[in-house]
Amino acid sequence: MAVTSGVRLVNPQLGTYFGIFSAALASLVLIALMLEQLGVSDVAIRFLMFAGPIGLCGALGLLTPASDPNDFFACGRRVPAFFNGLVLAITALGGAGLMALTGAFFTVGFDALCLSLGVCTGFVFMGVLVAPFLRKSGDYTVPSYLGRRFESRPLRIVAAAVLAVPLFLLLAAEARFAAYAAAWLTDQPEPIIAVAVVVCACAMVLAGGMRSHTWSASAKAIVALAALAVPATVVALMVSNLPLPQMTHGNILRIITRMETARNLPYLAAPPLAFEIPAQGLEPLAKRFIQTFGSVGSVAFVLMALVATAGTAASPVLLNRPGATPSVHDARKSLGWAVMIVSIVFMTLPAIAVFLRQMVLDQVVGQPADRLPSWLQALELVGVARVDPTGPTVSFINISFDRDAAWFALSYAAGFPNVLIYLSLAGAVAAAMAALAAGLLAGANILSEDIVHGLRAEPATDAARIGTARAALGGLTFVAGWLAVAAPADPLKLFLWSLTVSASAVFPVLILSVWWKRATTWGAIAGMLAGLAVAVAGILLGEAGAWALPGVLAGAVGLPAGFATAIAVSVLSPKPGRSVINILEEIRVPGGETLYDRELRLQRLKTRAVA
Amino acid sequence: MIEWSERKAYWRNTKMQMLTSLLPFLLVLIVLPLYAEVLNDMRVFGIPLGYFLACHGLLIIAFVTLAVFVNRQDAIDHWHGAHEDI
Repeated sequence: MAVTSGVRLVNPQLGTYFGIFSAALASLVLIALMLEQLGVSDVAIRFLMFAGPIGLCGALGLLTPASDPNDFFACGRRVPAFFNGLVLAITALGGAGLMALTGAFFTVGFDALCLSLGVCTGFVFMGVLVAPFLRKSGDYTVPSYLGRRFESRPLRIVAAAVLAVPLFLLLAAEARFAAYAAAWLTDQPEPIIAVAVVVCACAMVLAGGMRSHTWSASAKAIVALAALAVPATVVALMVSNLPLPQMTHGNILRIITRMETARNLPYLAAPPLAFEIPAQGLEPLAKRFIQTFGSVGSVAFVLMALVATAGTAASPVLLNRPGATPSVHDARKSLGWAVMIVSIVFMTLPAIAVFLRQMVLDQVVGQPADRLPSWLQALELVGVARVDPTGPTVSFINISFDRDAAWFALSYAAGFPNVLIYLSLAGAVAAAMAALAAGLLAGANILSEDIVHGLRAEPATDAARIGTARAALGGLTFVAGWLAVAAPADPLKLFLWSLTVSASAVFPVLILSVWWKRATTWGAIAGMLAGLAVAVAGILLGEAGAWALPGVLAGAVGLPAGFATAIAVSVLSPKPGRSVINILEEIRVPGGETLYDRELRLQRLKTRAVA
Repeated sequence: MIEWSERKAYWRNTKMQMLTSLLPFLLVLIVLPLYAEVLNDMRVFGIPLGYFLACHGLLIIAFVTLAVFVNRQDAIDHWHGAHEDI
């Protein structure tokens, strides 16, 4: 009987290891709190809170090296569903989903829900439509999967080239987010710290590839979730006596609604296609929290949710994760965990925004300009808030906040000790670094597996494959560092562009490759290229203001274009051969040996027979 | 291992399961936010209903949808003998 890859053992001690990690993190924070009370200098505490969590996560990455390709590219296929879901969740969230989204909730309220709903739904779609089948094929990268499914090397190269676009956009966005939080935390200039953070992210995955990344990203997820939970829970306890921010911000919402009426916040009506998510930098409150479609139009809201869904479901950074689970069943289950973790985070972010908004409306707006609270002056000193009163009292229009700072501003406003503020910042750095490392690794694997070794007829040696991937990691680190310093655009926009491009270029072909037997190589190539071309054209036209659709929603045109082109060209080209259909039928059924592992086993048998 | 004759039936059930998981959810995702303003007049736990359903409800529906899918698809796999032999 054939031995399936599901037999591989999951380490039973994982829970203990991460329990020890969490305890170490908690004691680090407690020690920092004690040192702060003892009067140790602020510089030393900042350094401890920056280097401590990153050092702990980095140690996990360095302690898990890999010399076998199966370990390096797929973590030995022994990541339990929960940890795989945890890494999926933190990779999808990253800095964009935690820092920028909190700020968006703070500024535009309800309208920011389109992003959180989209990302969460994206996981549902990924779990139902693609993840189990990618796990059965067992390939290390998306281009390898498409190449195997259609038995075509040109497609593999085209897919690798197309996937590079969303990958680089994501790398630039996450590097910028990581640099922003790290620069605030360490009080160093942003360009220098950007390079340092990118190099750290690379160093964490250099030793063991996917193996290092899985365990260090699980640790980073714990840091980020703790950093999110601590301020939100403590503030919830302060304002409502119940430590459940997700549920208790309702009463605050009622108070806010009353205050907003008293303080004359505008009641906007956006045109259906408007998409006014706050840009980077200082922005005043845009509209009332509860009001719907004041900044984002109703059509744009639905389109953004759908584009984010497709973009997340087809994100090249996430799609190499199902391959790391022990079985198809675990791959499906891991998406369930990912949805759960992401949902809890997405219920917490609006709570943070609501708490902060209440404090601003209560203590700043409507107050005399010379009696502002001290936390606001502290925020002004950091440069993330500005008050320029035009009259004797402060109006909501006079006060503006940095979008990416809302999460940290809550800790200032609630009067927490500095260490808890630094904990939030460290969590943001950890989340952005997890996404950054995932992006670097996905890019390096594609470069090594599909571009360098994918073209050769002879399979490469293990050492060559891993060596190439490590060299590619180094190269990508260089590019990402340069992007972090030089990329001119707003990082949230870069993140949304990445979603839009993967939704139009990757999603249609990926879906058709599993669910449509008649799909052909030419259809897949044409679909990817058409989706990419339309998405890029849509982004450029939208940014230039040449048409009504905003650039970030270009996927709403690109996705149908990708589907239509792939279907039309497939129908026009000759039917796929018997062997391609056989591969598809095997991919569709969970039982039986993972396709890639079987290929490896047969190869080893052959070399043994020759020797 | 799955029998050859079972493949067609297995894939038909899988397709139906995919559609019953995704289509209702997609419909709710598109329609619900559009009516949030109207629903906001009612309140649960002090939270306006439209906001509550969009912010909490949809996320919970997403989780339930996927959890049900995993179990149902598992049952389909076992029924047709398409499951992994672990």
